[in-house]
Amino acid sequence: MFFVTYLRRELRRRMRQAVFIALGLALGVGLVVTVTAASAGVKKAQSDVLTSLYGVGTDVTVTGAAPGPPKSGVPPKGAQTFQVGPSGAEICSNGKCHSAAGQTVDNLGSQYGSFGASKVAAAAKLHDVSAVAGGLTLTDNQITLPKNFGQPGSGFPQPKGFNVDGVDLGHSALGPLSAGTLKSGHNLTAADADSDVAVVDSGYATANNLKVGSTITIKKTDFKVIGIVSQPQGGSPPDVYIPLERAQALGTSLGASLKGKVNTIYVSAASAADIPAVQQELKKLFPGATVTTASSLASEVTGSLSSTAKLANDLGKWLSVLVLIAAFAVASLLTIAAVSRRVREFGTLKALGWRSRRIVSQVLGESVALGIIGGAVGVGLGFAGAALITKIAPKLSAVYATATGQHFQSVGAGGAQSFNPTATHTVSVPMQASVTAGVIVLAVVLAVAGGLLAGTFGSWRIGRLRPATALSRVE
Amino acid sequence: MYQLTNVSRIYQKGRRTVPAVRDLDLVIPSGEWLAVQGRTGHGKTTLLQLLGGLDRPTTGVIEFDGQDLAQLRETQVTKVRADSFGFIFQTFNLVPTLSAAENVETALIPLRIGHTERHRRVAAALDSVGLGDRARHLPGELSGGQQQRVAIARALVKEPKVLLADEPTGNLDEGTRDEIIALLEKLWGDLGLTLVLVTHDSSVARRAQRVGVMSKGRLTFRPNSRPATAPGSPAVSAPVPDPSA
Repeated sequence: MFFVTYLRRELRRRMRQAVFIALGLALGVGLVVTVTAASAGVKKAQSDVLTSLYGVGTDVTVTGAAPGPPKSGVPPKGAQTFQVGPSGAEICSNGKCHSAAGQTVDNLGSQYGSFGASKVAAAAKLHDVSAVAGGLTLTDNQITLPKNFGQPGSGFPQPKGFNVDGVDLGHSALGPLSAGTLKSGHNLTAADADSDVAVVDSGYATANNLKVGSTITIKKTDFKVIGIVSQPQGGSPPDVYIPLERAQALGTSLGASLKGKVNTIYVSAASAADIPAVQQELKKLFPGATVTTASSLASEVTGSLSSTAKLANDLGKWLSVLVLIAAFAVASLLTIAAVSRRVREFGTLKALGWRSRRIVSQVLGESVALGIIGGAVGVGLGFAGAALITKIAPKLSAVYATATGQHFQSVGAGGAQSFNPTATHTVSVPMQASVTAGVIVLAVVLAVAGGLLAGTFGSWRIGRLRPATALSRVE
Repeated sequence: MYQLTNVSRIYQKGRRTVPAVRDLDLVIPSGEWLAVQGRTGHGKTTLLQLLGGLDRPTTGVIEFDGQDLAQLRETQVTKVRADSFGFIFQTFNLVPTLSAAENVETALIPLRIGHTERHRRVAAALDSVGLGDRARHLPGELSGGQQQRVAIARALVKEPKVLLADEPTGNLDEGTRDEIIALLEKLWGDLGLTLVLVTHDSSVARRAQRVGVMSKGRLTFRPNSRPATAPGSPAVSAPVPDPSA
């Protein structure tokens, strides 16, 4: 108790300095906590985006390569092409052409290459794979061609559309719909496999005034809305979910039918440690396809979400390290100065028979006490910083581009032009900085370490102090 | 109690050497009150520090109760100081943030005495110097004389064999000086301590059993004092001038 009494009185004696040291440590620790919380919030936002893209439980996804224009130059059967000739812009299909001016093209296309059912089965048999589901990721695009399409100076109109996800109702635990929470109505079931029914994302439903019982037109086919789902906040979910069989019947890939095909395979690994190995096996099974894990997909998502993540990880981390170093340095210098002013006091204690290590432990105790106080205040500052970030930070955006699966060529006075329209999706992601128990422990450890460091520097000379020299100091 | 043989303490200041104590031979029997006078800078405090193990001699032997303090390791000397020496300083050297009782208690901390016993001895020590009712006062709330009394209590609370006082009345007025010296004299007599007191004040020195004079690092004794040599050696009999004149 004498130790604590002496410690307490000494800190009170140099209250201003003690407060300064504690505040410095608090600032450094608070910054570390805030930056770590912000970084955790950004990571969670990224995870939410990825989760909604691929759904819960999906570890690896396989998507076919985006199909390019036909090498032979002859469009596949059923495909639409555009050309500009003496009679103006025309739409041609299977050798028959008609005027394209003012025409609206409605296409349910695939932006990825496709795989047959046998490939899905082969994926399910791979080592360390626990579950596989196939799906169709399609885009329903409507493009209204202008009357001067194909002429010099004419641009290509931006398609209007929405995403459609064909859901494998036999493996509904994988894929984007698995992450959704039903808000109204009911979800798709295996019995709906051949029905024209759809579940709609809540954000899309609100924007388009849809509710359970509404009708939505996909590739000129009316689907009844049977349910509204909500995906994890900040995600980039498909707008509409329909049974896979119906998507296969309606969708096309460069004019080719998608019956019996999928363009995305969702794979669940046996364990997190197996993901890299599963990824490699899938790459061998699907040469040319894109095999991504959640971490590799994260690098493709741009927008302020990814730049904020970079800011938090790089600048934020280094800034907090610098502030911490500065706080440690100031604490050490002030402790050294305080010890210097107490040289005669320590000399007297040595004369009374105090051993150096007893005196050193007293000084260390004072510094560690300041470290603990600084750490506690720092954690408080960190919580406040995290709350402030959550409150005032603007919503982050995650941007990713998807091909519409359409390819247009026009030949006319302006020369040959080729268009592969893409659709960009921008998703708003709320920023929620969260302080975890691990961060609090880190903060306390840093603060105590700072106190110990300062105390060690300060008390270094005590061990070498000769009582006679110390007692002769004039204060 | 003490036997010093050919003790010197020489400080090195750049190229200069400063001999604070030179070739000193001294015997201090147990229970003696020895006063050491001398002008400033002639080695009085250095001698006291050597006797208290606060400094080490450059040459010579300082035997205390059969142990050569000069040959002991620092931790051993620290233990001897904790057990056997009580110090009183001119500037009191109290810890400003601790109360009178807590300052006295600092002398008992190295002895690892239990909490209750510590508090009992502290109370008794403060009572013995007449400050039992000032136990909770901080040094800043006490007069100079009271602070020196606390310092005396701190020195005596561990029941030391030797009390080493360096100008204990140097910062006090005449009246307080007399009070403090009277207190020291009483305690010395009651407890049978060995007391070595450094002073420049002749009126204080006169009250001791033996008065030595430090002059340029050498110690000599006044007439009517016992010789400052080992037993059996010729005594010094020539009169020594009063350094304070």
